[in-house]
Amino acid sequence: MRATLAALLAAAASFFPSCVPAQSWPARPVHLVVPYAAGGPVDVSARLVGARLQAALGQPVVVENKTGAGGNIAADFVAKSAPDGYTLVMGAIATHAINPALYPKFPYDPVRDFRHVALVVQVPNVLVVNNDLPVKDVRQLIAYLKENPGKLDFASGSTGSTGHLAGELFKQMTGTYMVHIPYKGSSPAVLDLLAGRVQLMFDNLASALPNIQSGRVRALAVTTPRRSAFLPELPTLDESGLKGFDMTTWWGLMAPAKTPEAVVERLSAETLKAMDDPEVKEKLRAMGSETPTVRSPAAFTAFVEKELKTYAPLVKRSGASAD
Amino acid sequence: MGIIDTLRLGFGEVFSLQPMLIPWIKVVVPIPFNILMCLVGAVLGTLIGVLPGIGPVATIAMLLPITFNLNPTGALIMLAGIYYGAQYGGSTTAILVNLPGESSSVVTCLDGYQMARRGRAGPALATAAIGSFFAGCVATLIIAVAAPPLAEVALKFGPAEYFSLMVLGLVAAVVLAHGSLIKAIAMVILGLLLGIIGTDVNSGVLRFTFDIPELSDGIGFVVVAMGMFGTAEIISNLEQGESREIFTAKVSHLFPTKEDWKRMWAPILRGTALGSALGILPGGGALLASFGAYTLEKKVSRYSHEFGKGAIEGVAAPESANNAGAQTSFIPMLTLGIPSNAVMALMIGALMIQGIAPGPQVMNEKPQLFWGLIASMWVGNLMLVVLNLPMIGMWIKLLTVPYRYLFPSILVFMAIGVYSLSNNAFDVLIMAVFGVLGYICVKLECEPAPMILGFILGPLMEENLRRAMLLSRGDATVFLTKPISAGFIIAAAILLVIVSLPALRKKREEVFVEE
Repeated sequence: MRATLAALLAAAASFFPSCVPAQSWPARPVHLVVPYAAGGPVDVSARLVGARLQAALGQPVVVENKTGAGGNIAADFVAKSAPDGYTLVMGAIATHAINPALYPKFPYDPVRDFRHVALVVQVPNVLVVNNDLPVKDVRQLIAYLKENPGKLDFASGSTGSTGHLAGELFKQMTGTYMVHIPYKGSSPAVLDLLAGRVQLMFDNLASALPNIQSGRVRALAVTTPRRSAFLPELPTLDESGLKGFDMTTWWGLMAPAKTPEAVVERLSAETLKAMDDPEVKEKLRAMGSETPTVRSPAAFTAFVEKELKTYAPLVKRSGASAD
Repeated sequence: MGIIDTLRLGFGEVFSLQPMLIPWIKVVVPIPFNILMCLVGAVLGTLIGVLPGIGPVATIAMLLPITFNLNPTGALIMLAGIYYGAQYGGSTTAILVNLPGESSSVVTCLDGYQMARRGRAGPALATAAIGSFFAGCVATLIIAVAAPPLAEVALKFGPAEYFSLMVLGLVAAVVLAHGSLIKAIAMVILGLLLGIIGTDVNSGVLRFTFDIPELSDGIGFVVVAMGMFGTAEIISNLEQGESREIFTAKVSHLFPTKEDWKRMWAPILRGTALGSALGILPGGGALLASFGAYTLEKKVSRYSHEFGKGAIEGVAAPESANNAGAQTSFIPMLTLGIPSNAVMALMIGALMIQGIAPGPQVMNEKPQLFWGLIASMWVGNLMLVVLNLPMIGMWIKLLTVPYRYLFPSILVFMAIGVYSLSNNAFDVLIMAVFGVLGYICVKLECEPAPMILGFILGPLMEENLRRAMLLSRGDATVFLTKPISAGFIIAAAILLVIVSLPALRKKREEVFVEE
């Protein structure tokens, strides 16, 4: 066992001849902190990628679910951990783009306190309506909303979630009005959507897909700029007249800010390799994920900066705030 | 497919032999893999159920990576076994050391521990196991026969219906107490207030969090229950020195007497019915099952004066209810793909790891998985009762362990369990705070059970009330115009009248005086 380990490390070192710290890293188990509960999509993808990283790095990759405060506790914990490559976090759109505008006295800087290693998952949200609502596409929905202002409700998993913000953006761009009904998580929201107590939801594709496919709800559009490979016949909101509508849920691997360059490079390369593995790719696809086009630490940092700029004004305008 | 065919398919899957390569002798041997997974799940579930604080959620989360390499049916069978196995094990700690091993066994502490104090730990444990077994079998049958139509019933429950159900529960909470009515109401209100801590669902505003991020999701139910029951119990026991050891001297018999059997069958039936019904509701129904069953029993039983002093009904009813609820809470997950609690969310995660999208299509696309899981629950329940009954003697021996050895180990397990909830030491601290609060309550003779119920119901009530009002655009009559909701409100009103009627109040005071 020890011999294989040494061989692996040697192989790794020869692969990255320029970086000295990578020879000794990783010498002990790597902790991958997940800011959300076990069993959810962020957790499942962390475990999928974590298992591949473990094989590639020759050290156990331990997934640890540290929940609370919309993911801020985990992100803050990793931001303040030793930057030695042994503590990583699955940072997400909530912890690194939405929450800074949502929470008062925000404890960390989503850009400067982190090295953004690799974007792992990008999932579209999809606009779904209850089957009894007499609209077949986005144009009909807008017309219906204009004829019946304030009649419809849209559900979301929580105040300040992507589902909520997508709804607010939709209202703003179309000049219509509907009531936001927040839930504790998206499951009870889906239940009320199925039952017809709420009529609309901007749900993430993974959780909406089974109900769309079984015909229990009707999908009208995806919120991403491009169509989803899962529902290629489904138009985007952008195509449906809401020019420039883009809201994609994402999460990816991040490390504390001062993590050595060599470690970040190695982690990034191994993570991308894991994501390109056909089996992992297939399982990430089953969660509705499109393969991210952002494929380097620098591009990921730029991506996070762009997302922060997009969401701050949107959160402010939505009136959502946790103070 | 008829029910017979589907069950045959399910049992066939459970008992199927799968060729497995035995690594060290390099021979492929057919082994009954799924049934082994069922056994592993049941044993593991019993164990973590007995250990205070360490619950199925943390255990299943830890085991998720292992399920990578198992077949989906085997993985799901094992995880399900852990969940309902924990319902069996949870009662053991509740009865022996007055500590809810699982959140659902909080009520079992009330009478189970009193039975143990009277030397009747054996019958109490046996009653819990028998009640759980019966309830588990019936509830599994309900899932097999009627899961899809029952899922439609779950859909009928909206915010208005949930709110009214909670109102009924809250009124019942007062009935739950056996001491002073004023103290019971005070404890319920304290529970409601504690439940307010955290983020307001509607506006996202943080309430009573004092800038502590750990408080922004509120205080965990397990943390409160462990503190109020567990830590407080330990503190008050230590105060009495080594006097606890006496209760083993009085152990007369291990199994229920003829009289016990006569008294337990009706509560088991009622508990099973109530638990099965509440378990179907995804909005926290299963957690209410044991509280509901206890309250119901206390109202209808001829022995209601014995409640809180070791009534066997007070063990039989809630234990049947929580196991029935645990089984039927699979219905929304299996038929709609909607998890009704954290364990079900983990099951969905386990399916996703296998590349199976959970939802209504699983039943048609993967009938072996669906019916195999259901059949395994029946087998698992049988295994659990066979495992648990002979173990009663062993558990009783645990009472002979001197308390000076027992309490530090209990504390350690509680701390580990509470820490594992969100991998945060803050929760352990909060548990200690509630331990002190619980001790003060013991001294003031205020019971923790009504507080716990208020704590569970408060946030659910507020959330559903405000959601119902949002949906109705501020029209409060929805609670009376929706038939299901109106039914609950009327039942609550009747219960309130009964509680406040002079004649009954007098009876209540007599009970109080007797103590």
